[in-house]
Amino acid sequence: MISIIIWTLQLILVPVLSPLFVGIVRKIKAHFQNRQGAGIFQPYRELWKLFHKDEVESEDASWIFRAAPYIIFAVTIVVGASIPIIGTFFASRLSDLLTIVYCLALGTFFLALAGMDTGNAFGGSGSSREMTVAALTEAGLIFSILALAFLAHSTNLVTIVQTVSDLSLFSFTPIILAFVAFLIALLAESARFPFDNPATHLELTMIHEAMILEYSGKKLALIEWASANKFLIFLSLGVNLFFPWGSAASFTPGALLLGLAVFLLKVFLLSAGVAVLESSIAKYRFFRLQDILFTSFILSIIAISLII
Amino acid sequence: MNLENIAKKYLTSKFHLNLKGKVISYAVPAEEIVEHCQKLYFQDHLALKTITAVDARKESIGFKVLYVFGIPKENVFLIPFVIVKDNGQEEFPSLAPYIQEAAIYERKIKTFFGLNPLGHPDIRPLLLHENWPTDKFPLRKDFAWDTRPEDAIDNTYEFQKVEGEGIYEIPVGPVHAGIIEPGHFRFSMAGEEIVLLEAKLGFVHKGTEKLFEVLPMAEKVKLSERVSGDTSFTHSLALCQAMESLLEIQVPKRAKYLRLIFSELERLANHFNDLGFMMLDTGYSFGGSNGARLREMIMQWNERLTDSRFLRGVNIIGGVTKDISLSTRDELNTALSTIHQDFSEIIAIAEESSSLLNRLDTTGRLDRQIAIDYGVVGVPARALGIAQDARLDYPYAAYDTVPCPLSLAIKGDVRARFSVRVKEVHASFALLEQALNNLSALDANFSVQTDLTALPRNAIAIGIAEGWRGDIVYTVITDNSANITRVDVRDPSFLNWNVLGYAGKDNIVPDFPLINKSFNLSYSGNDL
Repeated sequence: MISIIIWTLQLILVPVLSPLFVGIVRKIKAHFQNRQGAGIFQPYRELWKLFHKDEVESEDASWIFRAAPYIIFAVTIVVGASIPIIGTFFASRLSDLLTIVYCLALGTFFLALAGMDTGNAFGGSGSSREMTVAALTEAGLIFSILALAFLAHSTNLVTIVQTVSDLSLFSFTPIILAFVAFLIALLAESARFPFDNPATHLELTMIHEAMILEYSGKKLALIEWASANKFLIFLSLGVNLFFPWGSAASFTPGALLLGLAVFLLKVFLLSAGVAVLESSIAKYRFFRLQDILFTSFILSIIAISLII
Repeated sequence: MNLENIAKKYLTSKFHLNLKGKVISYAVPAEEIVEHCQKLYFQDHLALKTITAVDARKESIGFKVLYVFGIPKENVFLIPFVIVKDNGQEEFPSLAPYIQEAAIYERKIKTFFGLNPLGHPDIRPLLLHENWPTDKFPLRKDFAWDTRPEDAIDNTYEFQKVEGEGIYEIPVGPVHAGIIEPGHFRFSMAGEEIVLLEAKLGFVHKGTEKLFEVLPMAEKVKLSERVSGDTSFTHSLALCQAMESLLEIQVPKRAKYLRLIFSELERLANHFNDLGFMMLDTGYSFGGSNGARLREMIMQWNERLTDSRFLRGVNIIGGVTKDISLSTRDELNTALSTIHQDFSEIIAIAEESSSLLNRLDTTGRLDRQIAIDYGVVGVPARALGIAQDARLDYPYAAYDTVPCPLSLAIKGDVRARFSVRVKEVHASFALLEQALNNLSALDANFSVQTDLTALPRNAIAIGIAEGWRGDIVYTVITDNSANITRVDVRDPSFLNWNVLGYAGKDNIVPDFPLINKSFNLSYSGNDL
């Protein structure tokens, strides 16, 4: 019963909160550029605007193009509901590491298909780049969380959170290594610097944006929303798996509220970190990306070998 | 050297020379022109500044094709020309097989005058598109400027084609996602690598050169300010200098200094913008936003000094319309030193960023020989160590009275073009400081009244000025009733567009926008 309530709560919580963190990152970046920037609620207004717009659809678009936004959005909210966000007292079968990672991969797969579907030249190169990056990211992503799974002797994320929060500070060296590896995968998966530039208008340099160039109106809104969800999912995984303190351990209103507050604070700090990083470096050359992604993999392996 | 001595040095006595102002023009028989131009170009190392044509059928001469060679340091131009008979063939020998940079001029002459360069390897129409009928030549006198021919239907345009396994073609433009001018690019790529890049331009063709022939004199200056909006001042300066040399006007010294000051302000604003955008295109948003901020500071000074952010309405034939008072000068001096310090700090931070430098280094390298063959000018040329700058080679305004350093780099990649701009910014600040300090000692007069109708007959004048992209060349020609019959505009972009494909080749597609930005060429100035 409690599982269902929490699951439903998170089902709503992630999509409701996710545009806020996109707005916060943009706001912080604006400050670094001597700009005032739009308010942190701007992404909500943009979604509202897009949901009220008409759509233009290519004549060559097939059912994949039409279905992809729904699939991608659905995947992100299901995953968002299944990961540990405010509490560690429920464990759904969906909270398994491999289930989460490959559910997200399913979304990426359909996004890449949709990019190619209309035959747009940019969509094709976007999809090709996305699959290259996604394939190279997967190792670092899985192995960094796997390091924690070895600690917890379970691949269930909730169990991992419980175990890691009971660890003494001295055992944190491998966890920090795994966190760095995860952070690299986070940046790659959520199409951020140094992998992709979410603010660019240059079609030729795009990865994520190139795939969704053909979308407009409501479907674009769904995809933008799904990207925001995905960003929040990765932020949550980052803060809750690697720094799990403060998660609600019991199902009482007080504990839940405290858990939520701590969660928001942690996610805010991590997203601010992402914004600072994006403001201080240039995007990497496409063929240098595998170097960083490989670093992510190696760091995970080191973390695992320290744990075993 | 005076004109006679220069003529003796470069030319044999068999030509009938016409010496006037800074120009030596002479007819060369069609069968000798190729050899003669090769001698001037390869043996005497003169710079080919432009090749243009004029319709002189009214004077029963036919057409003339003029080859403008500049003699650096002397500030004198040799203009051999051939006469093309109006006999239904309209042929003249092509220089293109021998001198690569001639190819693009001859293609333009073929499209706009309908004169056929014999032996030219590529005579596809330039700038005018498939909807333009191939038998209408807009710069001929019998084509009225305000007519529009019916669209042609069955013309085709052949892009170069790369075939083979894994070759993927991406058409980009003419309408782009950013707020830039329109142009079509065709990429052939193997994976992410650019195998071939071909640009098709002409989407902003406005008939500027034709309009120059019809507009009254004051409007001509206005029109030149609109050839390429970001270079308003230098374009009108080049035209005014050509007109002043036709009319034999001595511009007051104060006007010369003011022209230098405004030119350098224009250069500063645009270099700030370019440096900012190059950094922004790598995603280095700190540099990007600061570039925009610095540019805006200069633009606001422009507005304060001249009531125009783009320095329009400042140049007139015979001088300038705006003066800088002593108190304003002192304020400007203070402001400039603040901006200079600001700029130095930003560049110091940017050059500490290894992720930025990694994107700039080795990207978009242009081969030196290709650059020389295609006659590349301005920033991309200096980024290859090719020492040319119209401010030094053809001193105008007050550039001969204040020391003007040459800003060079060697490697010819994006980083080199970046650093040439940085050096030129520093040089501009130094030039501005000296020119502003010299201003107080000058006579208050900053323009001369002139009779703009007293033009000489059958004369040619060249106006050249170094815009922030490269040298801008105006060729003004009068007919035998002393009317202006032709104004040829050669924007630096007209030459530099030809090598963009070479700079992009073998790079990866995601780097192309950065390479393009490091050239930042004008579409409007090219398309005219």
